[in-house]
Amino acid sequence: MIKYLPLIVRNVFRNKIRSLFTGASIAVSLFLVVTLYALLTHQDELAEASKVHNRVAVMHKAGLSGQLPIGHLDRVRSMPAVQVAAPMSWFGGNYREETVQFAQFGTDPQTIFKVYEELEIPPDQLAAWQKDRTGCIVGSVIARNKGWKIGDRIPLQGNIYPVDLELTVDGIYDGPSTVDREWLLFHFDYMDQALQEMRYPTAGNAGIVMLRTTTAEQVPQVMRAIEDAFASSDAPVKSLTEKQFAQSFTEMFGNVRGFIRYTSLAVVSALLCVAANTMAMSVRERTREIALLKAIGFSKPSVLTMFLCESVLIGLVGGVVGALGGKLLFSLVDLSTVAPGLGLFYIPWGTALWGLALASLIGLLSGLVPAWRAAQISVIDGLRKVV
Amino acid sequence: MPQDDVVVELASVSKGFWRDKVEIPVLTDTTLHIPRGDFVAIMGPSGSGKSTLLNLCAGLDRPTTGRVIVNGQDLGELSEARLAKWRSENLGFIFQMYNLMPVLTAQENVELPLLLTPLSRAERRRQAETSLRIVGLSDRADHYPRQLSGGQEQRVAIARALANDPVLLLADEPTGNLDAASAQEVLDLLDGLNQQFGVTIIMVTHDPKAARRAKRLLHLEKGTFVQADIEALEAAR
Repeated sequence: MIKYLPLIVRNVFRNKIRSLFTGASIAVSLFLVVTLYALLTHQDELAEASKVHNRVAVMHKAGLSGQLPIGHLDRVRSMPAVQVAAPMSWFGGNYREETVQFAQFGTDPQTIFKVYEELEIPPDQLAAWQKDRTGCIVGSVIARNKGWKIGDRIPLQGNIYPVDLELTVDGIYDGPSTVDREWLLFHFDYMDQALQEMRYPTAGNAGIVMLRTTTAEQVPQVMRAIEDAFASSDAPVKSLTEKQFAQSFTEMFGNVRGFIRYTSLAVVSALLCVAANTMAMSVRERTREIALLKAIGFSKPSVLTMFLCESVLIGLVGGVVGALGGKLLFSLVDLSTVAPGLGLFYIPWGTALWGLALASLIGLLSGLVPAWRAAQISVIDGLRKVV
Repeated sequence: MPQDDVVVELASVSKGFWRDKVEIPVLTDTTLHIPRGDFVAIMGPSGSGKSTLLNLCAGLDRPTTGRVIVNGQDLGELSEARLAKWRSENLGFIFQMYNLMPVLTAQENVELPLLLTPLSRAERRRQAETSLRIVGLSDRADHYPRQLSGGQEQRVAIARALANDPVLLLADEPTGNLDAASAQEVLDLLDGLNQQFGVTIIMVTHDPKAARRAKRLLHLEKGTFVQADIEALEAAR
């Protein structure tokens, strides 16, 4: 079939406008499908990568809507195999006039960077924050996007809690591209004291406790032990691995995986019709040429294979632009500047290559019927009255 | 005539087509022997069976009754797939409409039938160059069909037909789409191929001037060969 490649390639591009539109429709659709899938797969991949840190999230058995008494934290810390633990309370405040929130957590400045050991912060900045009750640490990405630097004042208006926070940037953390660098971390005690002063019902509670075990093997055992320890308390808990914790956010929106799967299926089906129509037109236009090929000795399987190669090639070109182009685009464009919280988004290689394979499959399937019809063309009819 | 010297043998061949449950006979009990090196022109009115005869000789169609033997091979014994391979090894085709691939250059068009052979790329290229040299178009090897005149396109088609060194050249109205000068060139070429290289040619034509260049004229009327001479045909035109 390699011998026929020049003929196949030139036939793919013989009608440039049509090839361009077909390729573009495949590329755009593939970009959409791959991006949708990447919303799930990049999270899975990040969560999978985070397994090396042996982290466990402990929350109220009712889920994130429940609150964990801060007293649970000390009991968790005292459990065997728990190396370190820190509270994390989502503040959910508004920064100035901005309506889009970013991640703000009330936490323990003494332990949080031990729980998230991959985060990097200069020791002097960490020490300054640990001493400053109204201080905060921000990620390098959000600091860059908002133009924050050390010493800047950050006012946050509470939405979930009826308190406003006046914070000062004490440090900026960084880390590998696989970690979220859009967080703002402040003292849990600062928020909690304000809540206690106004006798707010959830004062003295944390959102979750994030802990780290010494070894990976200890994770299931620790999870079980924690759940058992608080089973009969007023605030029973459940524990999740970091991966399960990340997936629980996606599941909060319902059957997102199913939605993405069915949407993709609809897109692929529509695409199949477009590509099949293009191939069918191509076969109709080339009846005489196909008849000639068969007259001079090309067999039915050869003709069938040549047309299938053409349609797969069209699919591949669309796939390269849509799937690999999408990967390139998201690796070059920093989404955190336009959509806070999406700074970590990328298209994993596996998803991009899956998109490429899907594009080839679309090409193959869309070419099946037209290629079969091409192979069946009668030489005599195809050449009309000529031989 | 020794069997080896016969390239085409039609033995009591009949062929009919079905239209609305009625069989329309096209060829009736036709017998024909074409010796090696012959140049036969087949004339006859539309519907007389000329193209059907050519299709049968090419193995593109099968007779209702009778046998078609080309170069010693009974075509009725071959499956469709083996017939395709057999055509690629034994036949060359020249069509009225040239039927060149518009996306391929003259050189690549000539190489097309050679793709079915085990020849290497370099060998295919060499053989195609030789064919183009024979038809006098070496300088047009890199031109696409749209960049050639009708006469040149037909000469490329002839080069393509010659590329696999065929036993039999089948030409259906090879000058039917050409002006007088180009037609003359093509006929000179066919004549030369027959005279110099001994290529056996069957040419279907409506043009008595073209038929005059053949060694033999066969005239078909209602599916049967009848006696005719060129002068009478020219006079009739």
